[in-house]
Amino acid sequence: MITERVSYEQLLGICGCLGLALLAHVTTLPFWVPAIVVACGLIRLGLARSGGGAPPRKVLFIIAALAIPLLFVRFHTFNGLVAGTALLSIAAGLKLLETKTRRDIYIITLIIYFVSLAALLEGDSFWLLAYLIGVCWLTTATLLRVTSSGPAPGWRRSLRYGGRVLAQALPLALVFWLLFPRFAGPLWQIPNDSQTAASGLSDTMSPGDITRLALSDEVAFRVRFASAAPPAPERYWRGPVLDSFDGHTWKRATSGFSVGAPPMQPLETAYRYTVMMEPHQHRWIFMLDWPATWNLPAAVLTHDYTLTQPDPLSRPVDVTGTSYTRIQSWQPLTRNERWRNLQQPQGRNPRTQQLAQELRGAHADDMELADAVLGMFRQQAFFYTLTPPKLSDNSVDDFLFNTKRGFCGHYASAFAALMRAAGIPARVVTGYQGGTLNPYGDYWIFRQSDAHAWTEIWIDGGWRRIDPTAAIAPERVERGLADTANADDPLVSRWQSRTAWFAGTRLRLDLLREIWRERILDFDQDSQRKLLEMLHIQEPDGQKLVMLLAVGMALVLGWLTWQVRRELAPQSKDIAARTYARLCARLAAAGLPRRMYEGAEDYALRVARQRPDLAATVTALCRHYSSLRYSQPSARITLGQFQAGVRAFRPKARPRPAP
Amino acid sequence: MSTLRQAAINKLRARVIRRHGRDSLPISISRRRIYILPTRFGVMLAAILAAMLIAGLNYNSNLALAFAFLMASMALVTMHHCNRNLLRLSVDVTTEVDAFAGREAMFEFELRNASNVDRRDIEVRCLKAAAMGSVPAGESESIEVIATVAQRGVARVDQFELRTRYPFGWFYSWTYVQGPITIYVAPAPAGTRTLPSAGAKGTGTHSEARGDEDFSGLRAYEPGVPLKHMAWKVLARGGEAAVRSYSSLAAQPEWLEWSALDGMGLEARLSQLCLWVLESDSAQRPYGLRLPGKEIAPSGGAAHRFACLRALAAFGVGEAGGAGSQ
Repeated sequence: MITERVSYEQLLGICGCLGLALLAHVTTLPFWVPAIVVACGLIRLGLARSGGGAPPRKVLFIIAALAIPLLFVRFHTFNGLVAGTALLSIAAGLKLLETKTRRDIYIITLIIYFVSLAALLEGDSFWLLAYLIGVCWLTTATLLRVTSSGPAPGWRRSLRYGGRVLAQALPLALVFWLLFPRFAGPLWQIPNDSQTAASGLSDTMSPGDITRLALSDEVAFRVRFASAAPPAPERYWRGPVLDSFDGHTWKRATSGFSVGAPPMQPLETAYRYTVMMEPHQHRWIFMLDWPATWNLPAAVLTHDYTLTQPDPLSRPVDVTGTSYTRIQSWQPLTRNERWRNLQQPQGRNPRTQQLAQELRGAHADDMELADAVLGMFRQQAFFYTLTPPKLSDNSVDDFLFNTKRGFCGHYASAFAALMRAAGIPARVVTGYQGGTLNPYGDYWIFRQSDAHAWTEIWIDGGWRRIDPTAAIAPERVERGLADTANADDPLVSRWQSRTAWFAGTRLRLDLLREIWRERILDFDQDSQRKLLEMLHIQEPDGQKLVMLLAVGMALVLGWLTWQVRRELAPQSKDIAARTYARLCARLAAAGLPRRMYEGAEDYALRVARQRPDLAATVTALCRHYSSLRYSQPSARITLGQFQAGVRAFRPKARPRPAP
Repeated sequence: MSTLRQAAINKLRARVIRRHGRDSLPISISRRRIYILPTRFGVMLAAILAAMLIAGLNYNSNLALAFAFLMASMALVTMHHCNRNLLRLSVDVTTEVDAFAGREAMFEFELRNASNVDRRDIEVRCLKAAAMGSVPAGESESIEVIATVAQRGVARVDQFELRTRYPFGWFYSWTYVQGPITIYVAPAPAGTRTLPSAGAKGTGTHSEARGDEDFSGLRAYEPGVPLKHMAWKVLARGGEAAVRSYSSLAAQPEWLEWSALDGMGLEARLSQLCLWVLESDSAQRPYGLRLPGKEIAPSGGAAHRFACLRALAAFGVGEAGGAGSQ
């Protein structure tokens, strides 16, 4: 039967399933991969429509000979996730093209299953999982139609059957998922060919960069504090520190200095918290200023107190740590560092240089000088805006003396440049500030719109945070961006049009996402241990987990066997008939089985003859049944009474009289 | 590989016979006699599932693992469904089959599905031939397997097989039923000699035209009688099924004699006799068959024809010959 030729219908079904599975990859695959597969499908369908079979082998070879080198040029490997998926997709397309028999379709279904799984290795949303289970359902229903001999069952029927198999599989899948041992790390190095672009802050900052992030609702990370959260003016989350300035752009100097943060003396209280990072494809992890401890063994605190891990963050990660909002540095600034934090591009921003010299002349004390600059921002006609004008190459001059309109990046950049020009070591720190409390889940959400830039200057033997934005727009720091910007700022009116209801819904949805992440995505060895503890299993370990898995599987498989066989039993929908069947079964168990040809009354008569002790009850019950069955609905006895009567009837087997 | 597999199957079949003995038909298939194995497609699926599991573990992706486990569970559920497709199916078979050597024999299997669930795509395999059928819930279905039998004689099929790959072709479950089927393989009708009577008294065929018309009485019903000869009125009155019999006075009984064919080989003789039986039968004139050690008195009708053909089939061979396995 296997060699039977496939029909147009079957091809159409399988093409549809393959297309839906590839749809889950459409954002990561190069566009021409799905295009080739779709073309293969259309060609094959067209041929089938016109009654033709598969195209000659030559065509396959040509497509393969074009596509596979193209893939290699694009990815340089077939080992990675995206490259492997692309290769599999092309293979499915080619297989589709040469499909002649059912066996070819079988192979394609297997590819569909695997390609669906591959999408889940990249994505992690609930909807993606639901969508791919849907694809798997549809593929399985198609498979049912393909495998059946004779006329294929209709689509509705096939889907219903596939759905039933899927539903029956759920409990077993749950047991597997909960109890299958998880490993701490990957089995082998995951080839990292992720095509996902880095998002959020980068390690360079031009004055307008952060403005772009201000419009993004994307979540950067979430934070749960162990106790009270620090007040808003202290909620600075430290990201990349930028200490190299070319007159326009601040950059993070990456080489030529030692790794490892200088020791520090914590002041004031410690905050303990867990930061739940979204993957952003950079190596740093945002920690509350200033980080002291963290539970990510591979991560280190660099010389500028940024927590950095060896690989770019491509998966969500949770870090629990402690921070102090005030510290005292122990060590003086090294010469090397002093030099780096003072260097300025030659011949750029001349008016800024001049202003710095004037200020230096007026204020001998570093702190006084810094205050004077902040006062200047406050008193002169500087504006805080989301739509600052574009700046020339001498960006600081242009901003300070010309446009005077800027976002946090402009102020931080200008302030740090002025400090350096005045001989005070200064640097720009980027990160996030503020955040939104989700009252439904009691955690803080930091979105890209919370991205911020501030400065640190070396004063009195220590780095000190100065946020120039706080001088020009203190409410930004106190209440966040949404409440800050002017209503006439067209880009900002977006926020203000949002009603409280909208905000509430958004927070609730975020809570669901957070629960999904915590319970499902981050389910690991630890969660399994907690699960075992919940079941009161002492000293949970891997061995006990496997034992529990075996027990769970046995239970669910037993249930499954029962469930599947139960469907076999002819179950009459007629309650009266079912109750009567029960009565007969009880009598049969007592040694008085009803004969095939006996009606209820005849049966009762015979029972009465053989077992006078049961006569009264059985006669009454059988008469009830007859009247329920064959009389008008106005029969004196109700169905309920009949059921109750049968339920109460428990005849005892009488020992056979000795012969 | 395939010989190893064949050996294992033969061993299993022998074991099934030892364990269950001969089944009394109709038989309801119990779970203890249903076997199940993955198909080649199923083995490929298992490999894909293993790859899914490893990928999920390696990428530490709980969603990928959930998907892989769901697929694996679906495979296990499918295994139960495949097994169930045969479970408690009631099987009956026509235990005696007539055929001619070198031609096709038709085995008729009756499957009854008293359950609530449709049984689809059930393959019945017998003598290396197979036929497929479905039995909707609460119905019966007859499945005809047509197989070619080569050798004249009386053969016995000791065992036949029910097999299914439903629903998704990942597993096949099967069962053996020991309902011996006897196949009477008559010699292939062949020969050049004319009927003995043809030379002596002309064709003799014109007398049979009236033969049907001379009602001579009733006799007991036997299978194979033309429906128009049934005594429906007798049956309607509540009597036993009966057949009106007719005497063809004009037709002299014809004796088909083994001894008349001296000088021919054994099989050729039997083939000639077989041809004569068929010719006499279609001419609707009474005939008798005389073989060494066996004589069948002249008569007519389907039952008589079968009796003669079976005598020819069994001639010279004991009933022991068995086409036992497929």
